[in-house]
Amino acid sequence: MTEPIAARSVTALESRLELSAPATPEIMDLVHVMLEHLWGTASGISDRDRVRFEMSVIEILGNVVEHAYAADNVDVPGHEGRRFEIVLGVTDEALMAHLADNGLPTALDLSGVAMPDELAESGRGLALATAALDELSYERVEDRNLWDLLCLRVSSD
Amino acid sequence: MIEFGVDTRDDGIGVVTPEGRLNMVSARRLKEILSELVANGTTRIVVDLGETSFLDSSGLGALVGGLKSARQAGGDLRIARVSPAVMTVFELTNLDRVLRARESVEAAFDD
Repeated sequence: MTEPIAARSVTALESRLELSAPATPEIMDLVHVMLEHLWGTASGISDRDRVRFEMSVIEILGNVVEHAYAADNVDVPGHEGRRFEIVLGVTDEALMAHLADNGLPTALDLSGVAMPDELAESGRGLALATAALDELSYERVEDRNLWDLLCLRVSSD
Repeated sequence: MIEFGVDTRDDGIGVVTPEGRLNMVSARRLKEILSELVANGTTRIVVDLGETSFLDSSGLGALVGGLKSARQAGGDLRIARVSPAVMTVFELTNLDRVLRARESVEAAFDD
Protein backbone atom coordinates (compact mmCIF):
# COMPACT_ATOMS: atom_id res chain seq x y z
CA MET A 1 0.00 0.00 0.00
CA THR A 2 2.32 2.73 -1.23
CA GLU A 3 -0.28 4.87 -2.97
CA PRO A 4 -1.46 7.97 -1.11
CA ILE A 5 -4.60 7.22 0.83
CA ALA A 6 -7.33 9.71 -0.14
CA ALA A 7 -9.32 9.18 3.03
CA ARG A 8 -6.40 10.28 5.21
CA SER A 9 -6.86 13.89 4.10
CA VAL A 10 -9.53 13.94 6.81
CA THR A 11 -6.75 14.46 9.36
CA ALA A 12 -6.11 17.93 7.87
CA LEU A 13 -9.74 19.07 7.57
CA GLU A 14 -10.47 22.15 9.59
CA SER A 15 -13.95 20.92 10.51
CA ARG A 16 -12.81 17.40 11.52
CA LEU A 17 -13.92 15.74 14.75
CA GLU A 18 -11.32 13.84 16.82
CA LEU A 19 -11.46 11.50 19.78
CA SER A 20 -8.76 9.63 21.67
CA ALA A 21 -10.12 7.07 24.13
CA PRO A 22 -9.61 3.64 25.72
CA ALA A 23 -10.58 0.86 23.30
CA THR A 24 -13.60 -0.52 25.14
CA PRO A 25 -16.96 -1.65 23.76
CA GLU A 26 -18.76 0.96 25.86
CA ILE A 27 -16.94 3.83 24.13
CA MET A 28 -18.74 3.02 20.89
CA ASP A 29 -21.81 4.97 22.00
CA LEU A 30 -19.64 8.07 22.09
CA VAL A 31 -18.62 7.49 18.46
CA HIS A 32 -22.29 7.20 17.49
CA VAL A 33 -22.81 10.61 19.11
CA MET A 34 -19.83 12.03 17.18
CA LEU A 35 -21.40 10.77 13.96
CA GLU A 36 -24.70 12.43 14.87
CA HIS A 37 -22.78 15.66 15.32
CA LEU A 38 -21.01 15.14 12.00
CA TRP A 39 -24.36 15.01 10.16
CA GLY A 40 -25.06 18.49 11.50
CA THR A 41 -21.82 19.96 10.14
CA ALA A 42 -22.77 19.52 6.47
CA SER A 43 -26.03 19.76 4.60
CA GLY A 44 -27.57 17.22 2.28
CA ILE A 45 -25.88 14.00 3.46
CA SER A 46 -28.26 11.31 2.20
CA ASP A 47 -29.71 8.73 4.55
CA ARG A 48 -28.07 5.94 2.60
CA ASP A 49 -24.64 7.55 2.92
CA ARG A 50 -25.15 8.06 6.64
CA VAL A 51 -26.11 4.42 7.11
CA ARG A 52 -23.25 2.90 5.15
CA PHE A 53 -20.68 5.23 6.72
CA GLU A 54 -21.86 4.87 10.32
CA MET A 55 -22.15 1.11 10.02
CA SER A 56 -18.66 0.84 8.52
CA VAL A 57 -17.04 3.06 11.16
CA ILE A 58 -18.67 1.02 13.94
CA GLU A 59 -17.65 -2.28 12.28
CA ILE A 60 -14.00 -1.24 12.03
CA LEU A 61 -14.00 0.14 15.56
CA GLY A 62 -15.68 -3.06 16.76
CA ASN A 63 -12.93 -5.01 15.04
CA VAL A 64 -10.29 -2.89 16.78
CA VAL A 65 -11.93 -3.35 20.18
CA GLU A 66 -12.59 -7.06 19.80
CA HIS A 67 -9.68 -8.48 17.84
CA ALA A 68 -6.69 -6.19 18.17
CA TYR A 69 -6.72 -6.72 21.93
CA ALA A 70 -7.87 -10.31 22.09
CA ALA A 71 -4.52 -11.86 22.97
CA ASP A 72 -3.25 -8.78 24.73
CA ASN A 73 -2.64 -8.57 28.45
CA VAL A 74 -3.81 -5.13 29.47
CA ASP A 75 -3.74 -5.90 33.19
CA VAL A 76 0.03 -6.05 33.53
CA PRO A 77 1.09 -3.31 35.99
CA GLY A 78 2.84 -0.48 34.20
CA HIS A 79 1.57 -1.73 30.87
CA GLU A 80 0.24 1.10 28.77
CA GLY A 81 -3.50 0.87 28.28
CA ARG A 82 -4.81 0.12 24.83
CA ARG A 83 -6.32 3.11 23.13
CA PHE A 84 -7.59 4.26 19.78
CA GLU A 85 -7.89 7.56 18.01
CA ILE A 86 -10.58 8.40 15.51
CA VAL A 87 -10.89 11.35 13.12
CA LEU A 88 -14.15 11.96 11.27
CA GLY A 89 -14.84 14.49 8.55
CA VAL A 90 -17.08 15.40 5.68
CA THR A 91 -16.47 17.32 2.46
CA ASP A 92 -18.77 18.06 -0.48
CA GLU A 93 -17.55 14.85 -2.08
CA ALA A 94 -17.01 12.35 0.70
CA LEU A 95 -17.39 11.11 4.25
CA MET A 96 -14.04 10.07 5.71
CA ALA A 97 -12.70 8.38 8.81
CA HIS A 98 -9.18 7.60 10.04
CA LEU A 99 -8.68 5.19 12.92
CA ALA A 100 -5.43 4.39 14.69
CA ASP A 101 -4.82 1.98 17.56
CA ASN A 102 -1.87 0.58 19.44
CA GLY A 103 -3.21 -2.97 19.55
CA LEU A 104 -1.80 -6.14 18.07
CA PRO A 105 -1.14 -6.25 14.33
CA THR A 106 -4.07 -7.45 12.26
CA ALA A 107 -3.04 -10.00 9.66
CA LEU A 108 -5.55 -9.58 6.93
CA ASP A 109 -5.96 -9.10 3.24
CA LEU A 110 -8.96 -6.86 2.63
CA SER A 111 -9.23 -8.05 -0.96
CA GLY A 112 -9.98 -11.54 0.32
CA VAL A 113 -12.76 -10.60 2.72
CA ALA A 114 -15.96 -12.46 1.87
CA MET A 115 -19.42 -12.65 3.38
CA PRO A 116 -19.69 -15.82 5.50
CA ASP A 117 -22.36 -18.50 5.29
CA GLU A 118 -25.91 -17.16 5.68
CA LEU A 119 -26.36 -18.81 9.06
CA ALA A 120 -22.98 -17.78 10.46
CA GLU A 121 -23.25 -15.79 13.68
CA SER A 122 -20.05 -13.79 13.22
CA GLY A 123 -17.48 -12.80 10.61
CA ARG A 124 -19.60 -10.30 8.69
CA GLY A 125 -18.06 -7.09 10.02
CA LEU A 126 -15.22 -6.47 7.57
CA ALA A 127 -17.24 -7.87 4.68
CA LEU A 128 -20.02 -5.41 5.49
CA ALA A 129 -17.62 -2.47 5.68
CA THR A 130 -15.94 -3.51 2.43
CA ALA A 131 -19.31 -3.77 0.68
CA ALA A 132 -20.59 -0.47 2.06
CA LEU A 133 -17.54 1.76 1.53
CA ASP A 134 -15.93 3.12 -1.61
CA GLU A 135 -12.46 2.75 -0.08
CA LEU A 136 -11.15 0.84 2.91
CA SER A 137 -7.47 0.44 3.66
CA TYR A 138 -5.44 -1.01 6.51
CA GLU A 139 -1.76 -0.73 7.26
CA ARG A 140 0.59 -1.35 10.16
CA VAL A 141 2.95 1.57 10.81
CA GLU A 142 5.33 1.73 13.78
CA ASP A 143 3.35 -0.44 16.20
CA ARG A 144 0.04 1.09 15.23
CA ASN A 145 -2.84 -0.19 13.15
CA LEU A 146 -4.12 2.46 10.74
CA TRP A 147 -7.50 2.25 9.06
CA ASP A 148 -8.82 4.68 6.44
CA LEU A 149 -12.45 4.73 5.35
CA LEU A 150 -13.99 6.68 2.51
CA CYS A 151 -17.58 6.90 1.37
CA LEU A 152 -18.24 9.00 -1.74
CA ARG A 153 -21.41 11.03 -1.31
CA VAL A 154 -24.27 10.31 -3.64
CA SER A 155 -27.43 12.36 -3.90
CA SER A 156 -30.53 11.03 -2.16
CA ASP A 157 -32.48 8.56 -4.21
CA MET B 1 -27.87 3.04 25.45
CA ILE B 2 -30.56 0.59 24.50
CA GLU B 3 -33.60 -0.91 26.14
CA PHE B 4 -35.43 -4.10 25.26
CA GLY B 5 -39.15 -4.59 25.46
CA VAL B 6 -40.00 -8.27 25.97
CA ASP B 7 -43.61 -9.44 25.82
CA THR B 8 -45.18 -12.86 25.44
CA ARG B 9 -48.56 -12.63 23.76
CA ASP B 10 -51.64 -14.72 24.58
CA ASP B 11 -51.00 -16.86 21.49
CA GLY B 12 -47.56 -17.78 22.87
CA ILE B 13 -45.55 -15.63 20.47
CA GLY B 14 -42.71 -13.70 22.08
CA VAL B 15 -42.17 -10.12 20.94
CA VAL B 16 -38.79 -8.51 21.54
CA THR B 17 -38.40 -4.81 20.81
CA PRO B 18 -34.85 -3.37 20.86
CA GLU B 19 -35.19 0.38 21.37
CA GLY B 20 -32.09 2.25 20.21
CA ARG B 21 -28.83 1.04 18.67
CA LEU B 22 -28.05 -2.65 18.26
CA ASN B 23 -24.27 -2.74 18.33
CA MET B 24 -21.54 -4.90 19.87
CA VAL B 25 -22.62 -4.10 23.43
CA SER B 26 -26.38 -4.45 23.08
CA ALA B 27 -26.19 -7.47 20.74
CA ARG B 28 -24.90 -9.57 23.65
CA ARG B 29 -27.99 -8.69 25.65
CA LEU B 30 -30.27 -9.47 22.70
CA LYS B 31 -28.62 -12.87 22.30
CA GLU B 32 -29.26 -13.64 25.99
CA ILE B 33 -32.89 -12.54 25.78
CA LEU B 34 -33.54 -14.71 22.71
CA SER B 35 -31.81 -17.74 24.31
CA GLU B 36 -33.83 -17.34 27.49
CA LEU B 37 -37.11 -17.13 25.57
CA VAL B 38 -36.37 -20.32 23.62
CA ALA B 39 -35.10 -22.12 26.73
CA ASN B 40 -38.36 -21.23 28.49
CA GLY B 41 -40.46 -22.67 25.70
CA THR B 42 -41.23 -19.55 23.64
CA THR B 43 -40.02 -20.81 20.27
CA ARG B 44 -41.99 -18.45 18.04
CA ILE B 45 -40.42 -15.00 18.32
CA VAL B 46 -40.94 -11.70 16.52
CA VAL B 47 -38.16 -9.14 16.80
CA ASP B 48 -39.81 -5.76 16.30
CA LEU B 49 -37.14 -3.55 14.73
CA GLY B 50 -39.43 -0.53 14.48
CA GLU B 51 -37.60 1.20 17.34
CA THR B 52 -34.11 0.11 16.29
CA SER B 53 -32.13 3.02 14.88
CA PHE B 54 -28.89 1.20 14.09
CA LEU B 55 -27.80 -2.37 13.41
CA ASP B 56 -24.32 -3.81 12.82
CA SER B 57 -22.86 -7.27 12.27
CA SER B 58 -23.03 -8.14 15.99
CA GLY B 59 -26.77 -7.40 15.94
CA LEU B 60 -27.14 -9.54 12.82
CA GLY B 61 -25.22 -12.33 14.56
CA ALA B 62 -27.57 -12.20 17.55
CA LEU B 63 -30.61 -12.41 15.25
CA VAL B 64 -29.15 -15.35 13.29
CA GLY B 65 -28.29 -17.10 16.59
CA GLY B 66 -31.86 -16.60 17.79
CA LEU B 67 -33.24 -17.83 14.46
CA LYS B 68 -31.19 -21.03 14.66
CA SER B 69 -32.10 -21.84 18.26
CA ALA B 70 -35.80 -21.09 17.64
CA ARG B 71 -35.84 -23.37 14.59
CA GLN B 72 -33.96 -26.13 16.41
CA ALA B 73 -36.69 -26.01 19.05
CA GLY B 74 -39.39 -26.34 16.38
CA GLY B 75 -40.26 -22.65 16.13
CA ASP B 76 -39.08 -19.67 14.12
CA LEU B 77 -37.83 -16.11 14.49
CA ARG B 78 -39.16 -13.33 12.32
CA ILE B 79 -38.37 -9.66 12.02
CA ALA B 80 -40.90 -6.87 11.57
CA ARG B 81 -41.14 -3.12 10.98
CA VAL B 82 -37.63 -2.75 9.58
CA SER B 83 -36.62 0.85 8.76
CA PRO B 84 -34.93 1.63 5.42
CA ALA B 85 -31.65 2.32 7.28
CA VAL B 86 -31.62 -1.06 9.01
CA MET B 87 -32.86 -2.79 5.82
CA THR B 88 -29.66 -1.61 4.07
CA VAL B 89 -27.62 -3.79 6.43
CA PHE B 90 -29.77 -6.86 5.72
CA GLU B 91 -29.43 -6.27 1.99
CA LEU B 92 -25.65 -5.78 2.06
CA THR B 93 -25.27 -9.13 3.83
CA ASN B 94 -27.94 -10.94 1.78
CA LEU B 95 -29.62 -11.81 5.06
CA ASP B 96 -32.85 -10.31 3.74
CA ARG B 97 -33.36 -13.72 2.12
CA VAL B 98 -32.98 -15.64 5.38
CA LEU B 99 -34.78 -13.13 7.58
CA ARG B 100 -37.54 -11.73 5.41
CA ALA B 101 -38.87 -8.48 6.85
CA ARG B 102 -42.57 -8.47 7.78
CA GLU B 103 -44.64 -5.32 7.74
CA SER B 104 -46.25 -5.74 11.13
CA VAL B 105 -45.62 -7.58 14.39
CA GLU B 106 -49.23 -8.82 14.50
CA ALA B 107 -49.09 -10.49 11.07
CA ALA B 108 -45.49 -11.72 11.28
CA PHE B 109 -46.58 -15.33 11.83
CA ASP B 110 -49.59 -15.29 9.50
CA ASP B 111 -47.83 -17.29 6.79
